[in-house]
Amino acid sequence: MTEKNSLREIEKKTYMSYHQDGLLDIFVGVYILLFGIGILLMTMTNFSTWFVIPAIFPAIMVPIWISAKKRITMPRIGYVKFGVKGANKMMAIFLGLTVAGLGVFTVFGLGASMGESWALTLRDFLISNYMIIIGIAAVTISSLFAYTMGLKRLYGYGLLTLVLFFTGYFIVIPFEYFLVTIGLVIIISGFVLLMRFIRKYPLPQGDKINAQESF
Amino acid sequence: MTQLYVVESADFLFLQHQLEMTPGNLSAHLSKLEKVGYVEIVKEFIERKPHTALKLTKKGRSAFKEYQQNLKQVFSNLSK
Repeated sequence: MTEKNSLREIEKKTYMSYHQDGLLDIFVGVYILLFGIGILLMTMTNFSTWFVIPAIFPAIMVPIWISAKKRITMPRIGYVKFGVKGANKMMAIFLGLTVAGLGVFTVFGLGASMGESWALTLRDFLISNYMIIIGIAAVTISSLFAYTMGLKRLYGYGLLTLVLFFTGYFIVIPFEYFLVTIGLVIIISGFVLLMRFIRKYPLPQGDKINAQESF
Repeated sequence: MTQLYVVESADFLFLQHQLEMTPGNLSAHLSKLEKVGYVEIVKEFIERKPHTALKLTKKGRSAFKEYQQNLKQVFSNLSK
């Protein structure tokens, strides 16, 4: 058990060092910010096509993220390929969350369409408490990823979301403003991390490259 | 070896940062591990640039597992 734990710690440390560049934060932050802006523009202009922006974002940004990793991170701290086990764990969490979410919505949707009283009560509860529910969902999802990847700052982002959405429950401020705030905070945090990373790991000079090439 | 055990492969620079070793020191360790067949050197191209990755061989992985078992045995004997 102990040796499994220490191997797990080393694995987490490896994940952590690979994501200490803040690039993940910048891209997640931009995604949340675009969602906020999309909803904001939709309510302001009654033009629902704005929502396409965050929907197509991953398709555009994932290649940019990979390219940024290759140009900024890899030349500084080197290249690592994680095992299938780690990737499978992340995929299992992602799929588990998606299936659980779809399952809940299917059961709830069917119940509501059939006029079931429990579904209608649940629908009213969800509508009146959606800010708190989103906050709890955000803290749960970010904690799951924080634990798996060993990235402690994800706990912070989840907590920030929970606090903001709890506040939003009591103070009437449109939902999209909270998304914009959270997105901006995560982007700023990402840029701070990126600056620190670039300063901490300058591009390797001659002797290091020579030692590397001898292998 | 522990570092390479938890990943599929890593390059020299990554190992150097993770292990906080000097290039010469790490190079000497890796040469010995390669000689006994515990570490494999994979030459590949990333974005049309030559790149050298290091990974544990099957022999290296089983040797590491055996080492773990031995250590476990030693500690369990000590606690008796």
